[in-house]
Amino acid sequence: MLGPDYIHSLLREALRHCPSDGDGDIYLTATEQALTRFANNRIHQNVAHQDAIAHVRVAVGKRQGRAVTNNLSGAGLADAVRQASEYARLMPEDPDFPGLPEPSPAQSVAAYDEDTADCNANRRAAIAGMVCHKAADLSLDAAGFCRTGATELAVVSTRGADAYHIGSFSGLLVTARSDDSAGWSKGGGWRMDAIDGEALADEAIGKAVWGRNPRDFEPGEYPVVLENYAVDDMLEALSFYGMGAQMVQDGRSWMSDLQGQPAMSPLVSIYDDGLDPAGWPVPFDAEGVPRQRVDVVTDGVVQGPVYNTYTAAKAGVGSTGHQRGATGGPTATNLFMRPGDRTTEELIASVDRGLYITRFYYTRLSHNRGCVMTGMTRDGTFLIENGEITTPVKNLRFTQSYAEALAGCQALSSPAHLNLNEAGVAIHVPAALLGSWRFTGQTV
Amino acid sequence: MDPLIATALDTARARGAEYADIRLVSNREQRIVVRNGVVETMTADESVGLGIRAVYQGAWGFASTRELTGEAADQAAAQAVQIARASASQNGAGMAVAQLLGSPVSSRGSYVTPISVDPFAVPLEDKLALLLEADREMASVPQVTARMANVVFIREERTFANTEGALVTQTIYEAGGGVQATAVGNGETQRRSYPQSHGRQQGCAGREYVVAMDLPGNARRTAEEAAELLTAEPCPSNIHTDLIIDSSQLALQIHESCGHAVELDRALGDEAAFAGTSFLTPDLLNDFRYGSEQVNITADSTSATGLGTFGWDDEGLPAQATDIIRNGQFVGYLMSRESATLLGRDSNGCMRASSWNRIPLIRMTNVSLEPGEWTLEDLIADTDDGIYLETNRSWSIDDRRYNFQFGTEVGREIKNGKLGRLLRNCTYTGITPEFWRSCDAVCGPELWQLWGTPRCGKGQPGQIAHTSHGASPSRFRNVRVGVMR
Repeated sequence: MLGPDYIHSLLREALRHCPSDGDGDIYLTATEQALTRFANNRIHQNVAHQDAIAHVRVAVGKRQGRAVTNNLSGAGLADAVRQASEYARLMPEDPDFPGLPEPSPAQSVAAYDEDTADCNANRRAAIAGMVCHKAADLSLDAAGFCRTGATELAVVSTRGADAYHIGSFSGLLVTARSDDSAGWSKGGGWRMDAIDGEALADEAIGKAVWGRNPRDFEPGEYPVVLENYAVDDMLEALSFYGMGAQMVQDGRSWMSDLQGQPAMSPLVSIYDDGLDPAGWPVPFDAEGVPRQRVDVVTDGVVQGPVYNTYTAAKAGVGSTGHQRGATGGPTATNLFMRPGDRTTEELIASVDRGLYITRFYYTRLSHNRGCVMTGMTRDGTFLIENGEITTPVKNLRFTQSYAEALAGCQALSSPAHLNLNEAGVAIHVPAALLGSWRFTGQTV
Repeated sequence: MDPLIATALDTARARGAEYADIRLVSNREQRIVVRNGVVETMTADESVGLGIRAVYQGAWGFASTRELTGEAADQAAAQAVQIARASASQNGAGMAVAQLLGSPVSSRGSYVTPISVDPFAVPLEDKLALLLEADREMASVPQVTARMANVVFIREERTFANTEGALVTQTIYEAGGGVQATAVGNGETQRRSYPQSHGRQQGCAGREYVVAMDLPGNARRTAEEAAELLTAEPCPSNIHTDLIIDSSQLALQIHESCGHAVELDRALGDEAAFAGTSFLTPDLLNDFRYGSEQVNITADSTSATGLGTFGWDDEGLPAQATDIIRNGQFVGYLMSRESATLLGRDSNGCMRASSWNRIPLIRMTNVSLEPGEWTLEDLIADTDDGIYLETNRSWSIDDRRYNFQFGTEVGREIKNGKLGRLLRNCTYTGITPEFWRSCDAVCGPELWQLWGTPRCGKGQPGQIAHTSHGASPSRFRNVRVGVMR
């Protein structure tokens, strides 16, 4: 890793090349990742990569230009600053551009574990080997990955921003398959020792064994118990398709007509918190603005979106520190759904006839209004009858408004589970019992 | 040979690698995005680095570095072999390289994308003026609340070498552009895109490719169509009818239901944990009716302007064209050296990596539906009752590539052989082989067009590939449409 002192001196030196009548900031991301991938009960891909990318922005009045480079030599960064300066001068003025944000110190948050960041290839291979052997013992095929690494983030600006954060990450994903069934599990976070590899292997393998000989099932509307993996998909879609202020300001968000409305069940509260160590903490955004907790939905009432400095200035509010990358709109990436007080077994026990769903796959927006999504169930779909799981069913297609589905939320489990994806989006969610879900097709 | 390359390959051999290859990549990208009248993004990106793969006892390792020094290349090579040894420690007895990879690859040469105008030699002001003019055209339509216009230009220089003697250099150019208008009103949100959805049309070409799109000349019509959709009739709900699908939507249909399905790594289970597998398992090769007699699909990495066009793939195999579906029969896969060997075949050169710090994976090249003989006028006139669908809006397919559902930006009713009312929120769904077997007419070469899909996700760590698909409008009988709420 590069370290805070080296990064800050490098970036400060580069910013000396900013024009005298302008401002500049540099958002640096440096990642070292290793990933051991397995399929058919053997390691078939095993990689290590590192990169460090400097996102340079130069603002001259109401104009801003950008350049990106992974050449961190003095000359490379100076070229990038000069390139961004040249672009800024070519730009037409943007009357809504508020300038670079004033510096504000971000709260430090512990999210780095040296043991995780330094995990070697033999240790990852041993975990992969353990999963593969367990699957092979039951005549199943295992596939998945074990990954570890660390990411450094830094923002330095001519206005005085000076932020640095380092976070480690780890993940174990397991798919177990037979000829006609599959099971899935995934764990991850910033500490590798929080992953119980044996338990995750058993979870996926158990589903694959349990799911053999699936039966046909007539599509229609049914109550569902969604495992946390499926609820994770719902929150990620609601974030991507509408929790950012730019989408709200364009009228493209699912929450565009719903702010202040009790659009979801009173059981549903969703918030974004970049400082909670139960997630994957990131204490500031790509502009160096400290992350604030933002209540998106409280007791079923839709509150509002997350902001960067640009959309906040347009709305006349302060940035909430949610500029995720160097460009694009603000995004909620550290989401939490308040858990309930039931066990998953209790959720199942309260369903007369419905479906138990492990996860969703290939979900895509069909319509902005209500966040109507289509997608498939995958890796463990089961029929619930009279409060008990009775039989596996073939995977189903659904076409369903996620916002409307959460209006019918009847119960949530405790505890919640962290889903950390490979893009750094962390979503902490419970399992959910929803009163109705619209299945519109079945696969072969 | 670049001393970095020689150093890395020597180190890999010295550490015990039975095979190694290296890619040295320098990527330059320029992006301009105008959103709602202001320049949201104008950026110059560059990324440089090298990646090295190594085989030890039949197992793979890979490492990469952004530092182009002899020391860093040496360390990356050593790390790749160390990782391969860790893989081998869990995999048991491994295969010899000849069994693993088949015939040696020792390609030599250089390739440059044919272009007329180097996009990086054109003043930025010209590119910006084009987008601002397109934006102004869209802004003249009052119901439009969100406008986006963008261009992208890429130049990537790649050098590939392996321990079998291959050494090839390539310079690949890409150019892309598009406009998008979102209208809000009447309780609806509707989007219209030009030339296609997902932001832009893109190809391996120079600046001329974007100029030919005439974004300003098509921007107002695009915005007007978005506004018109606000009051259009909804797509009929949950019926079966005949569809004529335009070439850009059909390109994505090919991508999802054929291109991914014929990736041999998926069929063999290598992508089971993420992208999924395929219903087209090896036992079905040359023994499965995928589509009707009208359906002929090829993979051709030599097609002009295709995003899957190159001189050699990232294992050093030369660009080539191969049959995938011939007269409806499933006859070929997209393959790597390793996977082809398992079928007793030679690779058809489909291994590509998205960056210097990613390994090559089997990726689509230009997977296209060959043209038929119909004119669009005759095809519509020959259809009593159906819908003409244009421009993708949503897409989803199951992990074995059977059950799909697509939405389009626009539908137009067909009644008694004539186009009728505009339809909004159109979707259609089906099962892949049933759908392709229902294809009874394909339009001719004058309507055939190659469409870029520059955002194809696969692999862990994730990779985004650039692929293309050619098609002309085609008819499909008795398809289920209108699944929305």
